[in-house]
Amino acid sequence: MAAATSQRVKVIRSAVLVGLIALIAGGVFSLATSASAETHVVEIRGFEFFPAEVNAAVGDTIVWINKDVVPHTATAGDGAWDSGLMETDDEFSLTIEADTSAGDYVCTFHPNMVGAISVE
Amino acid sequence: MFRKIFLSCAAGLLAVLGASSASAEDGGLNDMQIAHIAYTADEIDIQYAKLALECSDNADVRAFAETMIRDHTAVNVAALALLKKLGASPEDNPTSQSLLASAAAKRTELKALKGVAFDRAYAANELSYHQFVNKTVESTFIPAAQNAEFKQFLRTALVTFKTHEGHAEKLVKKLGK
Ligand SMILES: [Cu+2]
Repeated sequence: MAAATSQRVKVIRSAVLVGLIALIAGGVFSLATSASAETHVVEIRGFEFFPAEVNAAVGDTIVWINKDVVPHTATAGDGAWDSGLMETDDEFSLTIEADTSAGDYVCTFHPNMVGAISVE
Repeated sequence: MFRKIFLSCAAGLLAVLGASSASAEDGGLNDMQIAHIAYTADEIDIQYAKLALECSDNADVRAFAETMIRDHTAVNVAALALLKKLGASPEDNPTSQSLLASAAAKRTELKALKGVAFDRAYAANELSYHQFVNKTVESTFIPAAQNAEFKQFLRTALVTFKTHEGHAEKLVKKLGK
């Protein structure tokens, strides 16, 4: 009985400890990511995304700029995010969160235009 | 029918090009004539697309037609801006006239079709029309263009039209025979 109680206390203590560590680590981690958050620029020109693939970390921002004469979009494969119609020199920003839809994305006007985002 | 129109377009164009190469010393097609033909070719595709929006219920066909209107309009707005900057204006010519006449005949032919028959004929025409225009722009207009900025503009426009050609090819396949 006494042993069982002490066992439970230990379990609770270690749960609290793990929680604390997670909190601290999380705090440090989010500080670290916000301090080093990067902006990745993707130019749209000649009906292509440059670069075609972006490796981003949570907290980073991707900015698309349309350098073509014709309008384009940058749209998640599952439609979770969408720039909408971008005229020449229009920009669209996307901040990467843990649940941001990554993988292939397209221009909805020109289905041959495909880019990709991988989240580290 | 398409072949006939294609050939008559090509013949019209070749007649003009032939005439101009016969008078090569005179410089052949000048930039203002090329600009007029390119502008006319854009307008023709916009008209085909407007017809598709009137006649088709197919979502893929409608999306394609909307992209044709959006892109060819943007290219023509940019073309006019460049010509204005260069202090030039497009010059009407027999090739433009011939293209317009062929396109009017093609629209009449398309209007007589319904449903999937219209969709397939529209898509097939878009593919052949873009192939024809692209070949002309690439092998004739770009080499002939004198003004460097105008030449570069034609190269940019060609990228647009080639993308459309690829898109049309997929549409034709998707609609089947
Ligand atoms: Cu696009």
